[in-house]
Amino acid sequence: MAEQNISPEQLKALQEKIKQMSPEELKEFQKKQCIFCQIVEGKIQSRKVYEDDKIVAILDINPANPGHILLLTKEHYSIMPQVPDDEVAHIFMAAKSLSNSMLRGIDAQGTNIIVANGVAAGQRAQHFMVHVIPRKANDGVNFTLPQKSMDLGEIESIGNKLIAALGNIVNDEQMPISKVADKMLEVKSPAPFKEKQPADKKEAEKGKSGIDLDDIAKFLGVK
Amino acid sequence: MADNLKQGCILCQIVGNQIPSKKVYEDELVLAILDVNGANPGHCFILPKNHYPIIEQVPDMEIGRLFQVSNRVSSAIFESLGAQGTNIFVANGIPAGQIVAHFAINVIPRKENDGINLQWQPKQMSEEEISTIELKLNEQTKNIGHFEKEEKKPRIPTPKPVALSEDEEEYFSKQMRRLP
Repeated sequence: MAEQNISPEQLKALQEKIKQMSPEELKEFQKKQCIFCQIVEGKIQSRKVYEDDKIVAILDINPANPGHILLLTKEHYSIMPQVPDDEVAHIFMAAKSLSNSMLRGIDAQGTNIIVANGVAAGQRAQHFMVHVIPRKANDGVNFTLPQKSMDLGEIESIGNKLIAALGNIVNDEQMPISKVADKMLEVKSPAPFKEKQPADKKEAEKGKSGIDLDDIAKFLGVK
Repeated sequence: MADNLKQGCILCQIVGNQIPSKKVYEDELVLAILDVNGANPGHCFILPKNHYPIIEQVPDMEIGRLFQVSNRVSSAIFESLGAQGTNIFVANGIPAGQIVAHFAINVIPRKENDGINLQWQPKQMSEEEISTIELKLNEQTKNIGHFEKEEKKPRIPTPKPVALSEDEEEYFSKQMRRLP
């Protein structure tokens, strides 16, 4: 992504302008800043190996191995928790098929499927994507996960926290998505989104689309 | 899947409750458990109850459900464990790092500088090599496109916490150490 130099005054003016935008305009603005949205639209060239109405698969220009594929949703989502269930199912069914294509077509002996949600997890672009990486023995790629030992009391307590959180998520008609997204993208200012019965509809819409000024600032390369 | 394949599969034994585990989610097709030797505290496995060694064998409908559950577990990790990020990670085949012959999705809580490295050194390729790969993959992917869609399911129930006896706990920790 091309970084732009922008002064604090310009940023402030921009933030003011963004505040005036409708949720639709905001989403459009975010899309315009996203290199992967431009790839999806064909404005930036890529080597597509699969495409349908929801997703595009392209060859990664910085591959872990030859044939490394990026699977992108055509719709702009920053992180996976924002992606609707039907698109989650669709993109991973495609990942399975692409994995199969690698085993058959380019002599892969295995595959890795990886998603990074959030900067701490290694996410670099603010467009949700699934990596499908062909693997061979001794290919120099090393994804070994460390093993940390935990006592059963700790397991029990973490498990119960997850069960409680999952209960809320499963039982909520709509997951508290924007809340999750904001945390993952390390947004400093609290989001205006209120989970239950938001007082202001426009604010809630803004929250749902997961857009925050700090995100946009990051897009523009402002530290 | 033949019974002789399932026998000795540690994840099938966990599904069948022969080996206790800390379950965080369960429905008729999918089980989510905590890894006791996880890469980070809160590291979960999301696995199909049916025995499939690799992803290519898992029916599309189950793939959809498994990753939807993974997405929810990932959100729950955020909500409740203070993670700064999550990875969804699948190792498919031994060269890819798969250890247990039962397909499973890792959902891993992440924090800055937590010692986990899922990065890679980009490999340099010539234009010709890239074009060859592109052609070969396109040849394969032209048959993709028809996925079995999941039928509408009733709301997914939350699992009941599993109480373990002391003996079970010991067996549990011993067995789970063999998991990745």
